[in-house]
Amino acid sequence: MKSELFRGLQILCWLFFFSVGWCLAQPNRVSKFGEVSADEFVLLASGADSAAAALRIFDVGHCDFNYSQSRGFTYVFRRHVRYKILNKNAYDLANMDIMLYRSSGSSAKEHVLSMNAATYNLENGKIVESKLAKDAKFTEMLDRNYTIKKYALPNVREGSIIEFRYTIESDFIFTLRGWAFQSDIPTLWSEYNVRIPEYFNYKVNVNGYLPVQQPVRKVENVTYVPGVASTAQYVKYTAQDMPALKDEPFVTSLDDYRAKVDFELQGTRFPNQPYENYTGNWAKILNSLMEDKNFGQYIDKKSHSKAILADVQLGDADGLAKIRRIHEYIRNHVKWNDEYSLYTDHLTPKALFEKRSGNSADINLALVGLLKAAGVAVYPVLVSTRENGLHPGYPVITKFNNVVALAVVDSTSLLLDACDQLMPIDMLSFQNLSHQGFLFDTDKVAGQWISLETTVGGESAYHYNLTLDADNTLSGNVIEIHKGYNGLSRRNRYRAKTSEAEYIKDYKEDRAGLDVLGYEIANIDSVDMALTEKLTISIADYVEGAGDLVYFSPLLYERTKENPFKHDERKFPVDFGFSMKETYRITLNFPENYAVEKLPQSIRYKLPDDNGSFGISYLSEGKVLMVASVIELKKNFFSADEYFDLKELFKIITERQAEQIVFKKI
Amino acid sequence: MNKLLFLAVVLANVKITYGNPSSYAVDGISKPLLEGASAVIRVEEQLFDITSAAKARLSYKVAITILNKSGERYTHLVEGYDQFSSISNISASLYDATGKLIRAYKKADIGDRSMISNFSIYEDNRIKYLTFAHASYPYTIEYSYVKDFKGFLTVPSWRPANTFGLAVERSTYTLQCPESYSFKKHTSHGLQVDSSMTGGKKRYKWTCKDLPAIVYEPYSVGIDNLVPWVSASPHDFEYDGTRGSVADWNQLGKWLHTLSEGGTRLGEETKAEVMNLTKGAATDREKIQILYNYLQQQTRYVSVQLGIGGFKPIGADKVAQVKYGDCKALSNFMKALLKEAGISSNLVMIGSGLPSLNASYASFGQANHMILCIPNARDTTFLECTSHHYPTGYIGHSNAGRAVLMVGDGGGTLVGTPTYHAKDNYLERNAQVTFGHDLVADIDINTVYGHAQFESVLDVLLDEPSEQRKYILENLGIAGMELTNYSYLQADKDKPELTEKIKVRSKQLLSKGGDRVFLTANLLNRRESVPATVADRKTHFAVSFAYSDVDEITYALPEGYAVEHLPKDTELESEFGTYTATYTIENQSIVYRRVQQMNSKRYPPEKYQGFVDFFKQVYQADRQKIVLAKVI
Repeated sequence: MKSELFRGLQILCWLFFFSVGWCLAQPNRVSKFGEVSADEFVLLASGADSAAAALRIFDVGHCDFNYSQSRGFTYVFRRHVRYKILNKNAYDLANMDIMLYRSSGSSAKEHVLSMNAATYNLENGKIVESKLAKDAKFTEMLDRNYTIKKYALPNVREGSIIEFRYTIESDFIFTLRGWAFQSDIPTLWSEYNVRIPEYFNYKVNVNGYLPVQQPVRKVENVTYVPGVASTAQYVKYTAQDMPALKDEPFVTSLDDYRAKVDFELQGTRFPNQPYENYTGNWAKILNSLMEDKNFGQYIDKKSHSKAILADVQLGDADGLAKIRRIHEYIRNHVKWNDEYSLYTDHLTPKALFEKRSGNSADINLALVGLLKAAGVAVYPVLVSTRENGLHPGYPVITKFNNVVALAVVDSTSLLLDACDQLMPIDMLSFQNLSHQGFLFDTDKVAGQWISLETTVGGESAYHYNLTLDADNTLSGNVIEIHKGYNGLSRRNRYRAKTSEAEYIKDYKEDRAGLDVLGYEIANIDSVDMALTEKLTISIADYVEGAGDLVYFSPLLYERTKENPFKHDERKFPVDFGFSMKETYRITLNFPENYAVEKLPQSIRYKLPDDNGSFGISYLSEGKVLMVASVIELKKNFFSADEYFDLKELFKIITERQAEQIVFKKI
Repeated sequence: MNKLLFLAVVLANVKITYGNPSSYAVDGISKPLLEGASAVIRVEEQLFDITSAAKARLSYKVAITILNKSGERYTHLVEGYDQFSSISNISASLYDATGKLIRAYKKADIGDRSMISNFSIYEDNRIKYLTFAHASYPYTIEYSYVKDFKGFLTVPSWRPANTFGLAVERSTYTLQCPESYSFKKHTSHGLQVDSSMTGGKKRYKWTCKDLPAIVYEPYSVGIDNLVPWVSASPHDFEYDGTRGSVADWNQLGKWLHTLSEGGTRLGEETKAEVMNLTKGAATDREKIQILYNYLQQQTRYVSVQLGIGGFKPIGADKVAQVKYGDCKALSNFMKALLKEAGISSNLVMIGSGLPSLNASYASFGQANHMILCIPNARDTTFLECTSHHYPTGYIGHSNAGRAVLMVGDGGGTLVGTPTYHAKDNYLERNAQVTFGHDLVADIDINTVYGHAQFESVLDVLLDEPSEQRKYILENLGIAGMELTNYSYLQADKDKPELTEKIKVRSKQLLSKGGDRVFLTANLLNRRESVPATVADRKTHFAVSFAYSDVDEITYALPEGYAVEHLPKDTELESEFGTYTATYTIENQSIVYRRVQQMNSKRYPPEKYQGFVDFFKQVYQADRQKIVLAKVI
């Protein structure tokens, strides 16, 4: 999956590269602060974005380094952005927020060195400038680590041009401020100029579905330390005429498709000192993780793990049973605090078990520690969650924001995630379904990319066994079986209710006419088993009558009424996270004096390469009718081109599942 | 160092006063309290000690047993503070089901962050917070804190069982103040108070015990008729260097008036602009319209709420300079513009989206917004000054039909805003459906939305066409549709009405059944669910807004098909509303006409089954199908 995904991205980039053509360069609209020309007031958005609320005329950034005796190297980020406000929906652009970070353990921080901002209006043919007022600057101390500087521009109206020019100095040179060339409004010109001293080596990640140019790349003489001659690598990244980026359903994170660039420090090379590698390669990343007190050292608290293990009561459980029991023990004893992290909050698993709650790393690394102590071959797997965006694949540590585990037993691999209290083994929470994770062999301090595709998808089966009586009431029973992600979500829905009675109310909520006469649930706590619900039901007012005709749609409440793929355009792949299968079967006994009219046609429809299918079949024998419907999506990731196959599949599903069964009274 | 030591001692003391944590053992909870409960308040003690109008202290402690996952919504300690209040002595612990202490939280576990409303860019509100977490149910959380006030506008209220699913073992509220201090209280019906004099202080104490949880009921207007509660408010208050009285609405209005006094001064430039804009206008109505449009074109909403700035509008001259402000500043600016044009108007304090101000009980906290009123014996106009798009005089559903406080020279007066009735909040739809080759339907839909329904589509009108397209595809709900054409138009900018025109094509309008085809006549306005039946309902219920929908759809019969069955007409009449659905055959067409009108009222619990039955019949009628058979 990984290679396919990246190939897709590359090919798309190349396609754009050749088709758009770079020679059609437009005049560069960048000008100095305050130098607004009359022709900028007549600018309008064009093409697909012709009704956009605003235009980003230009956005120019610089990132340079500074050196001082007291603070060492810092980076200085300068930005000058100019917008044309086209309508009132864009007024919020006139409120600028700048997020600043401050370390809680040291004096390292970020601060705004300068801010200039103004609004320009064309009044009677003259350009009138309104500067940012002193009392329109605010500082919000968000929490211990973050401060937000806020600025509100005056005299903003439709047709106004507004601009902000500001400078931030930052001590946090490990990751430099990145640059997004694309936003939710169209951008005419965007450039980022980065000068990196020869002392630093950064991994640069250029990302997105539209290309970013690098027209300048050269070495310049720049003096950082007085009296020491040095050079800097200057790269200019540019993009022009970037369309607005608009959200689509079923994507990981929209940021995965945004044209942007970011930087992570790989190593330093100071005069008369050896090259110091920070994260330049996987070995280095893994070594530093191994030494980290909130990662490797946490796993390594063997005595803690042994002590906790004594409480798990493994007995003579074998490999798989051991994993099950430890996984369950953690889920039952520790509560996830809803935070994803690659690093633990606590320093030891013991602290976690004392406090009874922690972040994802606390929990999953404790799982690793316990399984190791129990003699299971187990490895942490570094993950970037779906919200966090896909990892670019090469050695950068900051792109990971979570950790899960992989255990090997009898040469079978099992992915493990103990954060959700109802999670079975060999399943990861939805946010972790980002296709690939980096497996970390902590004994060998080595690692490799592995697939995070789980064999389990979301599977549901509905088996109705009903009798239709003379007054058109349906009664009988239904068995629902939910596996994998469907089992997980059904368990969560059940558990979220105060009582079973409340759950049944909720179940009936969108099933008008349904009466539940009996209810049983099995395996609610045996999370590794399929969740099974058995209901005794009666359904009034569902089957309709007209003269001597009686008719109903046999999918009852499980009919797919709407096509989930509603849009007629698709730019990005469809990423479900997991595959799905839905099986529906109804056996219906109908009255003696009813005769089935012509049954709908049974069909079976397949997606190309058998990546998905839909089948529906009808059978009538005596006074019994049987209808079965199966929907299956075998892949969890479809390209933008395949979107239309999916749309067609669901069009057929909605059409065929809507077909009526007609009885005639005899 | 000393300070820290002191704090430690205080914390230790608090612990001691808690006493006996083993009393948190879950098996000590009586059976009736567990029934239908997500959580049980074991003990809650709220003490508000008023020293003077400028000084008070709240001491709060609570222990809650979380019974199951749905009880997790009670695991958040969140208390706000600002420049006039401070929080100290926070203590928090967690106990297991047996009442054994599992974790005592430390100072470092308590978070502190800014808490700015999503409509503001800056406020000085902050919160202290902590979320308790434990892996197995049940467990008990316990926390306490002290909050000191330097001036206060409200007295904390007391609502121990404030939601469905929460049971209460014991809760008390003690309110004490100097003998000379006066305040008022508003309590649930029949609630006993224990009042006494101790050490020169008046003391009121309310207690409740053993309240079982109330099971969730849909459409409920709240459980205030079933549980004990106390609201209280000072008479005289001191706040951010000002003094005022909230003894009644008139007094509160006086204070607000003082704050805005002098704020309508305008610079010469703006005055000239007003003159210039209104010079051709013959009537006040025209002037109001011109100036309101000017406000909408020239200003934008930027909210900054700091101390008294939460009540005192920024001066009109300042707004004229920067062209932005919050609801107060923009209303006051509009007032200044009108004044310049010789029209007098009043600021209005309103609970937008909240109930009417309580005529017999004046207090802060019932309102959250400010609009403007231009009184006139025959034709009083209200203006919502933060909207860029409302027609003049249209104030929106959330401001309509409620008692509000009009502020004037003589203080405050309660007045009513206009009510938008069912006939105002209309949807009028006309659709033509024709079937072509292969039973593909061409559907031409024309819908007019008024007032509250206009508001619900207004954002779509203002959006980009590409987003409008997405909206239609996601919301129209015609199976298998292809959108061929669409437009949104507000023909008259001074009327809260807009027109939507949509053309779609679909192959899935008719569902097959053997040799017949079935047509659900109600194409676009089906009721898909019925409110759940509630046995022995206890709370009142309401429909949140009145509306009237008229859908008329004309289906030209597909060639080669004849009507085999036409559903029966439906006519329903109830105090909740009326509904009719009729089917007529005209020439080669079937005309389906559906009219639904709903009232917005509050109904007593015993009427609920009638409400369910009404919607059940609507649901039934909406899904009726026309059967068409092939002509042989």
